[in-house]
Amino acid sequence: MNWLSTRRHFALMVAPALIIYSVYMIYPILYSLYYSFSDYDGVTATDFTGLDNYRQMAQDDAFWTSLRNTGIILGIALFLLIPLGFLLAVLLSGRVRGSGVLRALVFAPAVIAPILVGLIWIFILDPEIGLVNAFLLAIGVPAHPQWIGGPTLSPYSIGLVYLWQQIGFVLTIFYAGLRMLPRDVMEAASLDGAGRRQKLRYIQIPMLRETFGIVTALVVTGVFKVFELVYALTGGGPVHLSEVMVSYMYHITFTTQQYGYGMALAVVVFVVGALASAATFLGNRRKEEAS
Amino acid sequence: MASLSRRLLLTATASALFVTATACGSAVNTADGSSSDGVITLSMHNPDSKTQDPATWQLVQEFNAEHPDMKIKLEGQPVDQHEQRMTIAAQSGTLPEIFWVYDSLAKTMVKSGDLLDLTPILEENGLKAKFAPSMLAGFQQGGMQYGVPYQALITGFYYNKAILDEHRIAVPETFEDLLAAVKKLKAAGVVPIAQGANNSSFSVWAFLTMLDRFGYEAEYPKILSGEARYDNADFLRLYEHVRELAEAGAFPANMNTQTYAQAVASYTAGKAAFLDAGVWEAAKIQQSEVGPSTGFWAGPTFSDGVGEQRLVMNVPSAPFVVSAKVKEDKEKYAAVKAFIQFYYSDAGQKILVDNAQPPVTTYRPQVDSTKNPVFAAVLAEAAKPGWTSPKAQPDLVVSAATASAMYDSFYGVMGGSLSPEEAAGNVQKTIK
Repeated sequence: MNWLSTRRHFALMVAPALIIYSVYMIYPILYSLYYSFSDYDGVTATDFTGLDNYRQMAQDDAFWTSLRNTGIILGIALFLLIPLGFLLAVLLSGRVRGSGVLRALVFAPAVIAPILVGLIWIFILDPEIGLVNAFLLAIGVPAHPQWIGGPTLSPYSIGLVYLWQQIGFVLTIFYAGLRMLPRDVMEAASLDGAGRRQKLRYIQIPMLRETFGIVTALVVTGVFKVFELVYALTGGGPVHLSEVMVSYMYHITFTTQQYGYGMALAVVVFVVGALASAATFLGNRRKEEAS
Repeated sequence: MASLSRRLLLTATASALFVTATACGSAVNTADGSSSDGVITLSMHNPDSKTQDPATWQLVQEFNAEHPDMKIKLEGQPVDQHEQRMTIAAQSGTLPEIFWVYDSLAKTMVKSGDLLDLTPILEENGLKAKFAPSMLAGFQQGGMQYGVPYQALITGFYYNKAILDEHRIAVPETFEDLLAAVKKLKAAGVVPIAQGANNSSFSVWAFLTMLDRFGYEAEYPKILSGEARYDNADFLRLYEHVRELAEAGAFPANMNTQTYAQAVASYTAGKAAFLDAGVWEAAKIQQSEVGPSTGFWAGPTFSDGVGEQRLVMNVPSAPFVVSAKVKEDKEKYAAVKAFIQFYYSDAGQKILVDNAQPPVTTYRPQVDSTKNPVFAAVLAEAAKPGWTSPKAQPDLVVSAATASAMYDSFYGVMGGSLSPEEAAGNVQKTIK
């Protein structure tokens, strides 16, 4: 311990992690920022183009569509995924027969690679061969909604698939939080005559405030990393109408070889994601200070 | 003892860092390209050449068998990943010795001096004389021959004669014929044209040929130089026709969610009457249940088109290019030279033909039309008397961004997401 406590040795121990972090995290961010002000095509020397890429972005309909779609998925995650995950955790933390099996089943999608999740859901949502439309047809509903592949519903469908994929993960965190709550408080509330709903509202939710904060932060950062689901389900189509920010950035950078513009999109994805995460963390801190 | 442990810890950390760093560099080639072991890498746009590109796979096997002192290592990834990987390899100076690449990226690499001038190799043993000039002309820049055609692209519509006969439809010739056929097929519950846009928006080959039937070849240099616009009245007429097809129900309802491979599968399963594809699918179709009843059509002529209508797309595909670093290593250069000489020899071209790929040289193949009816039909359509080919496929003469917008423009109109004006306007926006 004495050896570690000297500043020199401490720096020596931290250095490897710091070097790796700088090389693989800080440098790429600075690299992206630098090239976002250029017309880099990925291979040849670049010309400095100032804010041209950012101006192009402001006039690019597909970028605004991708931003809106990311917002839709974020909305579904915040207003459906977190409450549903919590409610499922509450249900499964009670004395339910087979709750372990149910927890495992709900968690299963979280361990499947997102690209496979996308492929599975194609067979459910595809307008032609999908199970949903086959079911609608079987019960006499003639409509053939384009859950994916159409101009309107795709981002909502992607959001719901994301919910299906992530709910087990969210549930597990809430479940762990609920199990950590002190039993004596719950027992005391029962003795005082509190019902299940009252215990939920006045004890469990307030005491899980920190857990809610962590889950929100994880979900917000996760939404800004959604890529494979879109890639597998729709490929961003039709005509980029179902792109999210990351998939559109990938398309611009690697398919159209506009590396400069792609890096500008990457910078915006980073900034928007960082701002959303910072807002979440600040919100959490304020709530903690207030309680 | 404590001091020894600390040293061990530091050594382990340094080793871990070193391993991490070196692992990143091993993906493509050594940074200085100097591992002179006689082995050269051929990097392709297919993850499994043996099944997806058997012609190239067999060519490599036979080359390796005939040249025991040289060895070609064949590798590959899906197109997007491959393009991405080659771009990164160009940045880091770790390009493989020979590789397939889209022409737009190849032209960028030429500018940065990453590619080898193949003129000396082509001039040896009279190899250059084996090519029709148009097959090499597209891969020249600044007096440098930077590429050679990987394969010939013959594109158009495969059609299922059995389905057409069943519905008393003659093989179309004009756009009006096609539109009438589409309406009849749709009414009968048959998918008229198999198309798949999901992660394969490039699969609009027959429509790119139609663009040439509206004067693209004469117009594109002016469009690129700013003298003319892509959203001109002639091209808009073509997009209007695409909309007519879409409104008649020409395309499958799940066109935007199915991939090109799934579109091919729907055709080979007998579920679609036409398939927008090219000669590379001939072998697969031939082996499928629809093989015996499949024909090939260059696509419709238009009464309101511009210029020559009797066009069949028979052009060089994307090129093979060679890393400039090969010149620094005699053994590698010799192996590359030998491979190119072998690939374009009559023996090499015969391997292409045996695998249902048209030759890219002047080699005249003998194709048994009873054994290979689909491939023979493609070759016959490409050699139809009085029909000519554009010099290049429209998407291969513009930037990757413009090509991508062209693909989206067709699929956008086919799927009803874009009007003809929006579609053509989106392409115009990418031209700087």
